Amino acid sequence: MERTLKVIADNLDLMASGLAITLVISLIVIVAGTVIGILGGVGLLFGPRWLRAILRAYVDILRGTPLLVQMFLIFYVLPEVGVEINGFQAVCVALSLFAGAHISEIVRGAVSAVPKGQFDAGRSLGLTFAPLMRNVVLPQALPTALPPWTNTAIEMVKATSLAYLLSVSDLLFRTQNIVERTGVAMPFYITAAIIYILVNAALSRFGLWLERRTRYAT
Amino acid sequence: MFDLDWSIVARYREEIVSGLLLALRLTFSSFAIGAVLGLLIAFARVSGKRWLSGPAAFYVETIRNVPLLLLLLIFYFGMPMFAYRSLPEWLADLIVFDGVGSVIVAFSLYYATYLSEVFRAGILSVGNRYLDAGRALGLGRIGIARYITLPIMFRTVLPSLTNTLISLFKDTSIAMAIAVPELTFAARKMSTDTFKVFEAWITVGAIYLVVSWIIAVVMRWIERRIKWAV
Amino acid sequence: MVDRSPNAGASRRHLLGRGAALGVAGVAAGMAGAPLAARAQAEGGKLKEILDRGKLVVGTGSTNPPWHYEDENGALIGFDLDMAAYLARGLFGLDDAALDNPEELAKHLEIVTEASDARIPNLTSGKVDIVCQFMTVTPARALEVEFTIPYYREAVALLLPAGAEVTSAAELTGKAAKIAILENSFAEDLVHQGVADAEVSTFDSVANSILALDSGRVDATAIDLSTAQFKTAQSPDKYKVSSDSWSPQTYSFAVAPGDQRWLNWVNTCLHELMVGVDFAYYQKAFKNRFGVDLPPPPAGFPVEFM
Repeated sequence: MERTLKVIADNLDLMASGLAITLVISLIVIVAGTVIGILGGVGLLFGPRWLRAILRAYVDILRGTPLLVQMFLIFYVLPEVGVEINGFQAVCVALSLFAGAHISEIVRGAVSAVPKGQFDAGRSLGLTFAPLMRNVVLPQALPTALPPWTNTAIEMVKATSLAYLLSVSDLLFRTQNIVERTGVAMPFYITAAIIYILVNAALSRFGLWLERRTRYAT
Repeated sequence: MFDLDWSIVARYREEIVSGLLLALRLTFSSFAIGAVLGLLIAFARVSGKRWLSGPAAFYVETIRNVPLLLLLLIFYFGMPMFAYRSLPEWLADLIVFDGVGSVIVAFSLYYATYLSEVFRAGILSVGNRYLDAGRALGLGRIGIARYITLPIMFRTVLPSLTNTLISLFKDTSIAMAIAVPELTFAARKMSTDTFKVFEAWITVGAIYLVVSWIIAVVMRWIERRIKWAV
Repeated sequence: MVDRSPNAGASRRHLLGRGAALGVAGVAAGMAGAPLAARAQAEGGKLKEILDRGKLVVGTGSTNPPWHYEDENGALIGFDLDMAAYLARGLFGLDDAALDNPEELAKHLEIVTEASDARIPNLTSGKVDIVCQFMTVTPARALEVEFTIPYYREAVALLLPAGAEVTSAAELTGKAAKIAILENSFAEDLVHQGVADAEVSTFDSVANSILALDSGRVDATAIDLSTAQFKTAQSPDKYKVSSDSWSPQTYSFAVAPGDQRWLNWVNTCLHELMVGVDFAYYQKAFKNRFGVDLPPPPAGFPVEFM
């Protein structure tokens, strides 16, 4: 037991460096996915016909295939067409596109739940499309969108673990290498699990905090 | 551009077909076990008994926040390393599963948390008047669950069940990490053996897409067949 | 892990992109068009350039024990680094105290960490003086760079549990053994060359292929001999290396083509390191990284002609 504790203590900084990568990827993916999702969701509802068709295909294809397959596709195929991409970049791109597809659908749903009258009211005030979205529609869609958005964010934190399959030294990669090197398995796996649980607990708190804040906004 | 050579798909037909069949087997086995567990957890959480609902909630909140890939590595690599060192051999033999078994255990335990949430929402959506009617008929707790709550909620939860089933099917792709030869494993083999990366990944991606779509269509058909209204 | 595809070095990526041809053409053009002054400098060549600079610039990796990897303190160590330090010692007359002092050594030895696919570009662009990065010699690569004499002969061997009854791939044959290996184009062939009837499990990382052995999922892991030796040196109570190995390949250093003086100097160094005046240094590094005691080369008639 004492020996095991020492092995864990010796390797904590390695796990911390893995956690740092996991957090960086999560942050990039959640931010990029949210931006894509807002544009995609609004485009799905109000875009011209051709744009709606493209976005619908994007959302359905990314939601209908495994994230892992998308990740490998990006990682292996882009270099074939002359785009050099490393594992870290491939993970960020794949996860962002995937998160974007899910958040598009969330935004679409939330925006279509905003009462029709609000659009008319905005237009009668002389608002053009962009200000109407920014100042009237999206703020009202926010409370509906936030709970599923938080869920998606948590799913993405967990999904960053796939980075390990492209040899990106995230938390899971570090954990697995430590397990292999030290021959101590369960204590490290459980430590990693607790770290993921804590990160996601923090994220879900953040989501609740956002929900409370936005409730006053409407 | 590069030369496309779709003939590799024919060359790897056997791997692809057996990979898909294995993926489906993993999906339905895990879903069945996960659904039973999920149902038990859901009833535990709405039971109103702390000693039941507390552990059930704890289980859901922990397992659901851990990456599925980590769970898989725990059951495939961690379990035997721990069990054969610290437990009597007969017990170790009992809790250590092969590759396919590890996938089914990890996936069932993980998806039980999602399914329990689906079922819990379903149970809570069953109106009090139905439960009162059950009590009036003299049914006990289990009788009400069996004859009233379950059938009524089944229809409400079907769309969510479909989504979860499709997610599970897509997630079986990570089983390749422990050398289980499912569909994504076949794709990687194709792509590393032949360097035809585009053909390999597009083909397999398309298969996932089509099968997900078929699952959705079949489930919607079942939904429509269920006539009893709520 | 080593790239074992038959056209390693001229990988598909290279053939499709800016690959071999460009690199070689660039160098040729540079030589032909060089003005006289630069030509004189070129005759002084790399060796003079390094001596004037007071520092050797070596390209290597950082993630492949025991060749080049980070220790617990994040310092880069490994067999390739031992070899690089030896070259710096020869160039700048450093003593053993200087070799053991990282700060002192860093004054004369600059390490550029690079991915495997950057080895050739970094040489041809002059970013590094030499590559010491377990580089497999192939005819295709020899068109792009110049290889030194070998410093290690790699092969595929089996990593076995220390308590296993079998001691070799030959003994494991005919027992329907399960063998793990890193996924690559020739994974199954590679295993079957050693154990014809093995059931092969392919994993996405070396770590996982070894963990499969640790967790009793397989009877053996097929792996580079050097890695097997390294793992066994680290945990002799856990592993042993099969007595046989197969699928050999040669590891050499590489330098940019066209500078015979520099290449000769490195070759002389390596030669004396392995069978000459500095054999003790090589022997110690070999023991350190691979856990194997090397016997000294036979004396008298030179081993090279036997």
